[in-house]
Amino acid sequence: MATVNLAPTTIKEIPENDFFLTPSCILGAVNPGTEVLISRIYDLLGLTWRAAGDRAESQCTCCTGFSSHGDLISIESTLLVTARLWSIAAELGLENITTACVTSFAIHTECLEMYEHEPGLHERVDRWLQQACGRRLQIPKHVVHASDIVYRYRNDLAHKLRYRLLDHETGRRLRVVDHVGCHYAKVFPEKAIGGAESCDVLAGLIRAWGGETVDYPERRHCCGMGFRQCAIRPNRGYTMACVLKKLDSMEPWQPDAILTNCPGCNLFLDKEQWAIQQMTGKTFDIPTLSYTELAGLLLGWDPYDVVGIQAHTVPVEPLLDKMGIAYDKSKEWLGKRVAGGT
Amino acid sequence: MNSESATGKKILPADLVSKKAEELDQIPDGELVAAYESFRDHEDAESGTYPNISRLYGTSLEREKDRRETRAQAETCNAEMQEWYEKARNEPCTWWLKNHLVAKHALKSCIACGVCTAQCPAAQYYPEYNPRTILDAALTQNEERLVELLKSDTLWYCGQCGSCKPKCSRENNLMGLISSLRFLAQLKGYHLCSVRGRQQYAMRHLCGGNLWNRACSLYFRNITAEGHPDFGPRYAKYQSEAEAQMVRLGANPDRPGHFGGRKLSPQTLAEFRSCLACGGTLVLWNQLEESAAEDATKNGISIDEYHIRVHREG
Amino acid sequence: MQVALVLSSLGMPSLVVEKSSALGGRVPRLSRTFPFFNDDGFNDGKEFTDSIERDLRATPLADIRLSTVVTSLRGEFPNFAVELSDGSAVDAGAVVVATGFKPFDPTSLKEYGYGVYPNVITASELEWMLNPRGPTGGKLMRPSDGKSAERLAIVFCVGSRNRRIGAPFCSRICCSYGTKQASTVMERNPKALVACFYMDVRTYDRGFEEMYSLAQERGVRYIRGRVSMCTQLPDGSVGVRAENTLLNRPFSGEFDLVSLSTGMRPCEDAIQLAQCLGISCGPDGFFLCREWFRHPHDATRDGVFLAGCATGMKPIRNCIIDGAAVAARVTALLRKATT
Repeated sequence: MATVNLAPTTIKEIPENDFFLTPSCILGAVNPGTEVLISRIYDLLGLTWRAAGDRAESQCTCCTGFSSHGDLISIESTLLVTARLWSIAAELGLENITTACVTSFAIHTECLEMYEHEPGLHERVDRWLQQACGRRLQIPKHVVHASDIVYRYRNDLAHKLRYRLLDHETGRRLRVVDHVGCHYAKVFPEKAIGGAESCDVLAGLIRAWGGETVDYPERRHCCGMGFRQCAIRPNRGYTMACVLKKLDSMEPWQPDAILTNCPGCNLFLDKEQWAIQQMTGKTFDIPTLSYTELAGLLLGWDPYDVVGIQAHTVPVEPLLDKMGIAYDKSKEWLGKRVAGGT
Repeated sequence: MNSESATGKKILPADLVSKKAEELDQIPDGELVAAYESFRDHEDAESGTYPNISRLYGTSLEREKDRRETRAQAETCNAEMQEWYEKARNEPCTWWLKNHLVAKHALKSCIACGVCTAQCPAAQYYPEYNPRTILDAALTQNEERLVELLKSDTLWYCGQCGSCKPKCSRENNLMGLISSLRFLAQLKGYHLCSVRGRQQYAMRHLCGGNLWNRACSLYFRNITAEGHPDFGPRYAKYQSEAEAQMVRLGANPDRPGHFGGRKLSPQTLAEFRSCLACGGTLVLWNQLEESAAEDATKNGISIDEYHIRVHREG
Repeated sequence: MQVALVLSSLGMPSLVVEKSSALGGRVPRLSRTFPFFNDDGFNDGKEFTDSIERDLRATPLADIRLSTVVTSLRGEFPNFAVELSDGSAVDAGAVVVATGFKPFDPTSLKEYGYGVYPNVITASELEWMLNPRGPTGGKLMRPSDGKSAERLAIVFCVGSRNRRIGAPFCSRICCSYGTKQASTVMERNPKALVACFYMDVRTYDRGFEEMYSLAQERGVRYIRGRVSMCTQLPDGSVGVRAENTLLNRPFSGEFDLVSLSTGMRPCEDAIQLAQCLGISCGPDGFFLCREWFRHPHDATRDGVFLAGCATGMKPIRNCIIDGAAVAARVTALLRKATT
């Protein structure tokens, strides 16, 4: 079936180095390797990056995005928390914020935009910030998502890849669905590579790394994470329904994998496939990877020790087999229980 | 870090961990907090980890402590936004739409073209949900209609995805408006009138507890296998060795670091709490506690039972 | 053309300078004109423009230069010196700008898939397809596979009434021409499924409302909701998504062919023309008139006048009426100035 390439039109300014990296709540909770991989990729590319605080004393708070969209926190508190992070970045001499999470990206961007729309806000937040923690409001030069950086350096990474998105036996280009996080492309479309309708941040990676993109009717449909909808169990049917809708829609194209750049999407497009199979009998078994996980695998990093594919519900090993990537299955589980129980 | 006897009081934190909220009633605020903190900050010298964090997480003790601390911090905090939100609570909804930082920029005019609802995943899923009608209610400036909206389940169906935002012909921010109205609904206690609204109490301790104690919205121990059977047996297996897997992958479960599960320095936590307080969030959390206590009493159940109920209702 | 024709009837000589190689603008491609269709005396747009051109060429007072543009305008009313792209120069007492419009190109609205999905076309392309002189002999076909198109969606307001894309204005005639097209399709194929997706139906002029009810009586469905996106299904059909705002429910449907009723933009070189002629444009890009009520045809420079769609979209009949009005105004002013 014909696949469609939509040419991107939005030109976004992506900084090339000196990043302040902010971590993600969802990734930290369920896909921890994914965000560590961002730092590994930055290191591989020889880029300078710092996070808040150092290993011995962490200052990394979250941006409160999940809580904000979960309706638990005032916008002013969010402004203060992000201002605090910006102040730490400024102390480190860094003016380029790269977030691990797309909701963070939208939150930081929303804060930046508010200072432009609301007269006097800058002065008020500066005052409150001093009152709260003795810091000053300093607006960063750039706020981007970490996938923007990987997009920018996708060709450099392409040169370093040991593997490609190809079936290593037949040479067929793998069909990869690009699922871009809603908060990356839709909330501030002019800040997304390619805009909301023809977003290229993941499609560009797929093309650069040897694969083929897939255009299917529900391509831009939300994964359904929905913050309070996924967090509170009785509401999670909505999330499942959204995932099923997307999977049903992409199925005629028989995709080999789904690529994401959002922690929530990566989580639910993967995990709900099991429940859907149980409830409807439909087996999709489409491995779902984040852009950092995919990069790590194609670079030849250890699938279990470094990339962390064991955290996925849909097994990723069949995809590795397709690409001819070697792995030692016995390394998957460690046999150690969590101290003190869950 | 502090040893258990630092305060000189004879409180045994290990006992407190298993107590219910009503049993902790007798213990004064300061002692409760000190006991919690000393237990939490006990460091296992060999591994450099804090093994009691996981024991404290999700307990009545933690929630009760959070309740007390939030009240205390709100009382001593002299924040402009705290006063603002206290005042806003008693103003009409129409006042909020003109004055709240998000709401006032969210709406301009609407031609009722429907592109927002056309794209909305929630409108496709919930038969009675139509986000355009929420915007319409706000534009009519009709107080009665707005109050009805704030008391309904309708307001809570939105998944905050933003699919509506890039489409709007008149550049409205429907997603932001809904978020703003939800805040107001809780502030006025109207959330108690709907099943989905009442769930906010669950969120208060889930995300709110994480923010207060870990400065992060989510915590790896939240996503239990029992609470997420839809994730399947592979997830259950992973979760059973989550801590070890996290360390292996470079994360920091219950220990200092940059990545998942990290324990932050006390200074950072204090700064973060101040940011929450100065932004007025504690007004909301205290209101949520008040509403919950009222609703629990009305239903003849304890606050802990109420907390479980709102997690499961719907 | 009308301006020159009426000027001739008033005894005024004129020179018609046309940029393209034929007269008539976009009208010749129309499969029929509205609101009365065949009852207005012409079978299609070309018959209509041919009739005017015939009359124009018959009069000795009007001169026609095709494939030519004005390159400079010097002097002052009533003594202008005009230079043309064919190297010649002409003296003129007045200049009338009747440069028309350009349909909006929907390629930039990625949500509709125009230029990517073969079965998404523009209203102009639909019009030409419906024209018996066109590429399919008047049959409705799916460009993707040549099969007959039985299910047609017509999307109103593409590129208009949208502040987000910097086009807050209404293009006035798209509801009407879209209704005309829908009505035509149903008339030829009563079994077809034709749905128009609208926000308002602005069929406002004399006879237009009757055309609208006739369309509905013929079976055209009108669904009130702006189309938010088009998608392509495996068999090439196009999925259309909107909200049926009268029922408060999201709508999703599949069509063989989707026609985007594109709004209008000023003619391609409006800005260069404005500079060359020394006149101003409004914020919507169309030329500005000096005074809204009393002198709607005067441009912002003395002696330069505006006719037709150059000042904003209007139906063909109104352009003809406009032409006559401008001719009268020019004649009156020139006679006064030269006595």
